[in-house]
Amino acid sequence: MKGALPDEGTPFRETSAEPPTASVPFSHLSLELGHLYMEDFADGPARLARHFAAVRPWADAVRAGVGPLPGGRRPRISTCFLVDDYFSRLATPAELVPPLLAAAREAGLAIDYLARESGCAAPDPARPGSAPLAESVLHRLVESPPPGSTGYRPPVGRTGWLTNGRRTPSRRTSAALDASDVWQPPSETLARGHSVFMDVELFSGPEDDRTWSCAFLASVWQLARLGLLRDNGRAVLTPVAWDPAAFPADWDALPPVVQLTPGAAPFTAYGTCSVLPGRFLPVEHAVRVVLDQVQLEPDVLDQVARRSAAEEYPLPAGVVERTSYVFPPGL
Amino acid sequence: MGAQESTPRPARPVLACGEVRTCLLPTRDAVDERAAETLLRLRADERVRVSRRPNRCAVSPDVLTGVDCRLPTANGAKVRAIGTVAARAVLTEGRVLQSTAYFAAPADGPDSRRPWGYYLVRPGLLVPVGRLPAAAVAEGFLAGHRPEELDVGSVAESLLARISRAELLDYDTPLNTASTVLRWAARPAPAGSEPSLRFTVGEEGLRTVALRLPEGTAPAAVAGLCEDLALHDWLLTTVGDKLDGVRLGTDDQAAVRKVLGPLVDHLLHLWMPRARLERVLSGLWDALEETPGFTRQWDALAQRIRDQLALRALLARREALDARLTAR
Repeated sequence: MKGALPDEGTPFRETSAEPPTASVPFSHLSLELGHLYMEDFADGPARLARHFAAVRPWADAVRAGVGPLPGGRRPRISTCFLVDDYFSRLATPAELVPPLLAAAREAGLAIDYLARESGCAAPDPARPGSAPLAESVLHRLVESPPPGSTGYRPPVGRTGWLTNGRRTPSRRTSAALDASDVWQPPSETLARGHSVFMDVELFSGPEDDRTWSCAFLASVWQLARLGLLRDNGRAVLTPVAWDPAAFPADWDALPPVVQLTPGAAPFTAYGTCSVLPGRFLPVEHAVRVVLDQVQLEPDVLDQVARRSAAEEYPLPAGVVERTSYVFPPGL
Repeated sequence: MGAQESTPRPARPVLACGEVRTCLLPTRDAVDERAAETLLRLRADERVRVSRRPNRCAVSPDVLTGVDCRLPTANGAKVRAIGTVAARAVLTEGRVLQSTAYFAAPADGPDSRRPWGYYLVRPGLLVPVGRLPAAAVAEGFLAGHRPEELDVGSVAESLLARISRAELLDYDTPLNTASTVLRWAARPAPAGSEPSLRFTVGEEGLRTVALRLPEGTAPAAVAGLCEDLALHDWLLTTVGDKLDGVRLGTDDQAAVRKVLGPLVDHLLHLWMPRARLERVLSGLWDALEETPGFTRQWDALAQRIRDQLALRALLARREALDARLTAR
């Protein structure tokens, strides 16, 4: 689908026309060790210790679930943690991160990669002029059409809402039409019997000053962990090695993804598993609605498919099926 | 994470259809390459492809629109198809804007709708529920859709509208032109027969092109051919219409120059058939050069404009000379 400019058998070729697609390294699994609001950090070290103690047995279970691999090879698993520095910044990295890492260590867990939520929303500081990831993903949304969609529909980019089906038709207000004005329910496309209809707010505010929703940034975060995003063919959110003993006083001084464990398995992975508090369940349901409607670059998908096939580690074709969750009790 | 279906081999399409809208970019002057890239940047993470040889041409990334509806058919057969229509915009020499919406379709598909991800990994493919009557759909598509049927034209139109809303366009065009619609349908040529093309000029700016092509021709390449046809047909139509309205024999020099000037400034240099066609499709132009003779007609129009301008320059010079002699 690379389009209008001919590529085969022509004696003349212009390279400006076809940027190459960078490849990224892959773990088998990217394991997310929870997610917390800024307020949770304010509750102090005991709150963090409780969090990681609750995560630990489930993280072990997830690890055990990946193997065994063909040829008796050890699975590559990396762990990550996403800090919310987008919606609020109550503390600096220097104040917030060391207790977090200590609490994880206490529970016997290592955070290999630490990421900032702003990294999913803002342009990559390492690449001036690059597009904000959230905007790139927004442009890649292709809405699942409810039956009867002929091609005549307003694009999601303008409404800012994404559903998994068909909304309730808007009601007329004219009293004369009251007799025919019966309420019609919304419906989920491909529902099993009955609908679970969801309408996800992707952003709010005007185009030049958008606030992305938590659900949409979480979708970008999943796609980044799955190694499925590129910016003009280049890799995005490439981890930067960081000294765990030296965190800055400003979030913006911290790269979007830092690698804290030298020699850790790659950040990007064939599949993801997130161990999350149950209160994030609605957000992650929304993430599934979004992921189901993102059209990824065929080149990138092919790349992942080839790599995983070469390792005899087959992947589901659907991106949603590459994500998984644990919502443990007591988290 | 189980061993399920991996990334699919695309089913070989037996039908590709599309619609091209061609118009003058609504702005005073042709835009430069940077402006062209800004206009066609439909995706933040994908570059606009720019080509400078043999002419300047910028192509947007493909954007997709999901559909699930009946396809138009010539015989009234009810065929439901699900998938995505691809759309892209092309800007030639910063002056002529085109948007194309197109799809391909395989001979058959699953008996019911699959999860959306199944269609998203097949961009630009409409998968029929059951079997696809390719000939009836090709014919029905060219004839136009009924309500509740696939409306590819509105996908092309909304892309054109999206680009035309850009702030850098001033809507002060140097000449008034009509936009044209070219609808095309391509099926594989029967074994042993040559590729063929049937171009029909209809009412109200609608052109239809029925194509039989070598099996395996990429739908994007067919779209490229039809954009090329639409561009040159639009040039012929636009320049022909302008000359049609002018009384060249008239003494009103200013009025004639007002019509001919913008044609020279903005359109005459755009004629360049087959600028970047796949070689296998290039031969199809030959048929059109034979009958009706696209380039022959263009050369005649262009020559007429140049002759008129030369004649008028001569007349103007003689008048000036006469005036000076009289004044003595």
